[in-house]
Amino acid sequence: MSLLLPMQSGLLPEGLNVSFKLIPAILVLAMLALFLVIGFVFKVADTEGMWVAGRSIGNVENGMAIGANWMSAASYLGMAALIALSGFYGLAFVVGWSTGYFILLIFMAAQMRRFGKYTAPDFVGDRYNSDTARAIAAVTTFLIGFVYAIGQARGMGLVGLYIFGDLGILGLTGYQSMVVFMMAITVGYLSISGMMGATKNMAVQYVILIVAFLAGLYVVGYANGYSTVLPHIEYGEMFSVLSSEFSEPFVHQSYYLWIATAFSLVVGTCGLPHVLVRFYTVDSERTARWSTVWGLGFICLLYLSSPAFAAFGTDLYANQIGDVYGDPGMTSAAGDVIVVLAAQLSNLPTWFVGLVAAGGIAAAIATIAGLFIAGSSAISHDIYANIINPDATQRQQVLVGRLSIVALGVITTLAALNPAAPIAALVSYAFSLAGAVLFPMFFLGLWWENTNRQGALAGMTTGLIIWIIPMINEVLPTYVSSLDSTISPTLAQWVPAIGSALVAVPVVFIVTIAVSLATEEPDMETKRLVRQCHSPEPMDRMESAEEVVSTDGGEDVQGGDA
Amino acid sequence: MTENDRHDSDGERTAPDGGTATAAQRHRETNYLEEEVNLLKPSTEFMRDHLRLIWTGFIIWAVLVFGPVTATALAPDTMTMTIPGGFPLHYFLVAIGAPAGALILSVWYARRRDALDEKYGISHGGDA
Repeated sequence: MSLLLPMQSGLLPEGLNVSFKLIPAILVLAMLALFLVIGFVFKVADTEGMWVAGRSIGNVENGMAIGANWMSAASYLGMAALIALSGFYGLAFVVGWSTGYFILLIFMAAQMRRFGKYTAPDFVGDRYNSDTARAIAAVTTFLIGFVYAIGQARGMGLVGLYIFGDLGILGLTGYQSMVVFMMAITVGYLSISGMMGATKNMAVQYVILIVAFLAGLYVVGYANGYSTVLPHIEYGEMFSVLSSEFSEPFVHQSYYLWIATAFSLVVGTCGLPHVLVRFYTVDSERTARWSTVWGLGFICLLYLSSPAFAAFGTDLYANQIGDVYGDPGMTSAAGDVIVVLAAQLSNLPTWFVGLVAAGGIAAAIATIAGLFIAGSSAISHDIYANIINPDATQRQQVLVGRLSIVALGVITTLAALNPAAPIAALVSYAFSLAGAVLFPMFFLGLWWENTNRQGALAGMTTGLIIWIIPMINEVLPTYVSSLDSTISPTLAQWVPAIGSALVAVPVVFIVTIAVSLATEEPDMETKRLVRQCHSPEPMDRMESAEEVVSTDGGEDVQGGDA
Repeated sequence: MTENDRHDSDGERTAPDGGTATAAQRHRETNYLEEEVNLLKPSTEFMRDHLRLIWTGFIIWAVLVFGPVTATALAPDTMTMTIPGGFPLHYFLVAIGAPAGALILSVWYARRRDALDEKYGISHGGDA
C-alpha cells in the first residue's frame, strides 16, 4: 500500500517549540499512568462489563462520559484550527457538533435505551432480522472507528511534539515517531480496561480536558489583555483588529458547503455508534434523556470557548509569526496546534503550556477509547459471536475484542503517519459515513415500524456507495502519488467528502422507504419490538425491548427481574 | 450507582387532578404493543402529545441552526453589521446563538417530557 510510504518530510507546525520538556513530559506521563490505574482497577472480564458497563451509569457521570467521548482532538484542537484557518466556515463545525445532540435527544436517546442491547450493529441486526444488515453495520462501525481515529492520532502526534520533542524512533520523522508512541500507549490502556474502565476514565478525562482548555483560554486571554472574566463574549471586541477573513461569510467556502458540512455533522452525531452506545450504559430512559442534556451542557462549555481561543491564536500568530491568510499563510499543522501555540506565544510557563497540550491528549485518548470499544465490539460481538461462532464463550469474545482493538490501533497508526487532511476534516469523513449509512437505519427503524429488511439492506448499500464515491474522488488522490488532485471537481462541489451526507441522507431515506413499501411488511414480532421502544411504560434496568416483547407482552413490566 | 439528579423529585406520585387522571386512566388502558408506530401518524394519545413536543422543538431547532447562515447568504449586508460587543451579527448568531439555543431547547424538552410522564402517571422506578 502506497500509504505506508511517507510522502511529506513530516508535519512540523511552524512556530511550535519542538523539544523535550521535562515538566510537561512528567505531567503527561503521570496522566497516562492515572488512566492505566483507573483502567486496571475497573478492568473487566465479562462482556456485559466490557460493552455496557453493567448498565449502571448515572446522569451526570454519563453526561461527562458523553462529553469526553465526544470531545476529541477534533473539538479540542481541530475546531479552533478550522475557525482560525477558514473563518466563518469553521463555525459549521461548532454548530453541527453541538446542535446535533438535540436531534439525538428528541428522536433517539430514550428509544435506544429502551431497545437496550449491546452495540449499534445489534440494533440494526435485531431490528431488521438480518445478519447481513448486522454485518454491514458492524463493518461500517469498524470503518468509522478507523477513519475517525486517524484525526485523533494526528492530533496526539502534533501535540506530543511540543512535549517530547523529536524522538526519532525507527528512522521516522518526529511527527511519525510521536504518532507511534502515543498510539501504542492508547491501545495498551484500552485493551486492558474495556468499557467499564473506559467509562470511569472518561469522566476523569472530561475534567482534565475541560479544565485544561478553559484554563488555557482564560490565561491566554488575560495575559495578552484580550479578556478578563468572560472570554467567550469578550473576543467580540477583537473583530475590528482581526483580518476580515476571520469573520466574513463565504470567503473560504460556499454557502452550500457550509450547509452540507453542518448537516452531515448533525446526522453523523445521531448515527455514531460510540455515541449511541452511551445510551445503553445508563439505568433508565429518563437518565438517557437527562444525560444527553448534561452531555450537551458539558460540550457547550468547550464549543462556546473554541471560537474565542481561535481568535486569540489568530491574533498572536499574526503578530508574532506571520500572515495567517494568503500565501504562505498558516499551515494546517500549525492550525491544528493553534490552542497550544496560543499558550506558547503568550510566553506562559512551560508547565502551563504542557497542561494545555495534555488536555488535547486526554481528549484524543478518551475518544479513541469510545471508538475502538465500539469498533471492537462490532467485530467481536456482532460478527464473531453472532455470525461466525455462535457458541463463543465470553472469554473468547473478550479476546477477539482485544485483538480487534490492537488491529484498529495498528491500521490507524499507519494511516496517521501521512494524514490526508487536517484533524477536523478527517473526523468529518467519519461523520458523513455514520450519517449516510447508520442514521437512516436508526431513525426509520425507530420511527416507522414498516421499515423492513430489504429496505434496510438497499438503504445501507446506497449510503455506503454515496459515501465512498467522494472519498475516492477527493481523499484517495492524496494517498496515491500518481493521482495528484481531485478527480472530478464538479462532483466534489456537489457531493463533497466532508459533507456527503447532505445528498446521501435523503436518497437513503427514499430508497429505504420505497423498497420497504414494495416488499413485504415486517412480522408482528418486529413491529412489537418497535412499539416497545416507544411505549411510555417504564422498563427494568437490565431489560431490553426484545425481552419484554417475548416474555410478558409488555403489559406490566414492573416487578420483573433482570 | 446513586442517582445524582436534581429533577428526581418525589412529586411524580402525587395525586393528579381531574384532568390528568383521565389521561393517566386512558394510558393504563392502552396496550402500547398493539398501536402502530409511525412518526407521521401517532396512534396513541401519549404519542400525539409527545410528537407535538418533538415537532415544536424540531422546527425551532431548524430555524436556529440553518436560519442565520441562510439569512447571511440572502442578505449579507444586514447580517454582517456589527452589534454591541463587537461581533458581526451573523457570527454571533451562529457561534453563540446556535449552540446555546440547542442547549436551552434540550432542557426545555427534557422538562416537558418529564411533565408528560407526570400527566400520564408514569413513574420511573429507576434504581429499584
